[in-house]
Amino acid sequence: MAMATGGGNRAVPYINVTPLIDVLLVLLIIFMVVTPLKPSRFKADIPTQRDPNEDISQLKPNPLTLVVTIGQDLQLKLNQDVMGSVNDTSALASTLQQTFQQRTAQKAYKAGMETAAMNVPENQRGQFIEKTVFVKAPRALKYGDVVKVIDAIKGAGASPVGLQVDDLP
Amino acid sequence: MGMQGGGGGGLQSEINVTPMVDIMLVLLIIFMVVTPFLQQGITVPIPRDLKNPDEDQAINKETSVIVSVVCRPPDAPQCTPESTEVYLGKKKVNMDDLKAQVEKALSTKKEEDKIVYVKSGVNVNYGEVVKVINAVREKGIDKIGLVADKKKGGAAAKG
Repeated sequence: MAMATGGGNRAVPYINVTPLIDVLLVLLIIFMVVTPLKPSRFKADIPTQRDPNEDISQLKPNPLTLVVTIGQDLQLKLNQDVMGSVNDTSALASTLQQTFQQRTAQKAYKAGMETAAMNVPENQRGQFIEKTVFVKAPRALKYGDVVKVIDAIKGAGASPVGLQVDDLP
Repeated sequence: MGMQGGGGGGLQSEINVTPMVDIMLVLLIIFMVVTPFLQQGITVPIPRDLKNPDEDQAINKETSVIVSVVCRPPDAPQCTPESTEVYLGKKKVNMDDLKAQVEKALSTKKEEDKIVYVKSGVNVNYGEVVKVINAVREKGIDKIGLVADKKKGGAAAKG
């Protein structure tokens, strides 16, 4: 930097800010580049270990349960209905979206949450609608395919997403 | 550096950009070196360009528990269970160590913060991920975070 002005003996009474600006500009550019690298994740629930002495015959199955099954041939099933494949999840996503809309209209709240839902204003009851979706995938499948399906399910508004880890093919 | 602005008669009217370029290059190199250390755990070919994962800054925190499942070599097209390796943080672990260390790492955390982040390569068999999930759920953990990369500028779907 240090640009000597003329060859004379007079001192220059200015602070040279050019290097400072250089550094600031570079830092600005670096932060612009780094900021989009925000880490993100899918939150998934997994079943906790059940007490082996518990009598599971007393537990009632939830009629609102949605299970997305991925077949060995990458075919997707929502409960029993075939819904496209891993490479085309649009059918699954739109069906799930419709299902959740219907449930909102029919006030299908989570089991045990009905009274809690009544205590909040109408427009805040969305969190109590049963939107749980379970994912069941065979062990031989690639992890990337499973995540693609979870992405579609999440995009349809499901929450929480549960992973089935027992009895996988 | 320090180009003298012509000792002779003519003034030099060009801006000297050499020092600026110097600084830029040095910082570029510094960040290239440092970036791999900013992330927790090892580098894994995680799923990319997804639309709907939630942002979570906690993934880069030092205290969070990151389990990486990765194939050797990491970009192999097909991954067998034998070539799959499990890392806790930056250390390679087997399933028994994983259980003990995950429990230890999460024992001081509050109940709602007990979450294990799973970074798995796209080519890894889902069965291997399930093994890790099975190991952590034995320790009473019921929440996991599947680390995935969000597509840049991709708008989240409604719903």
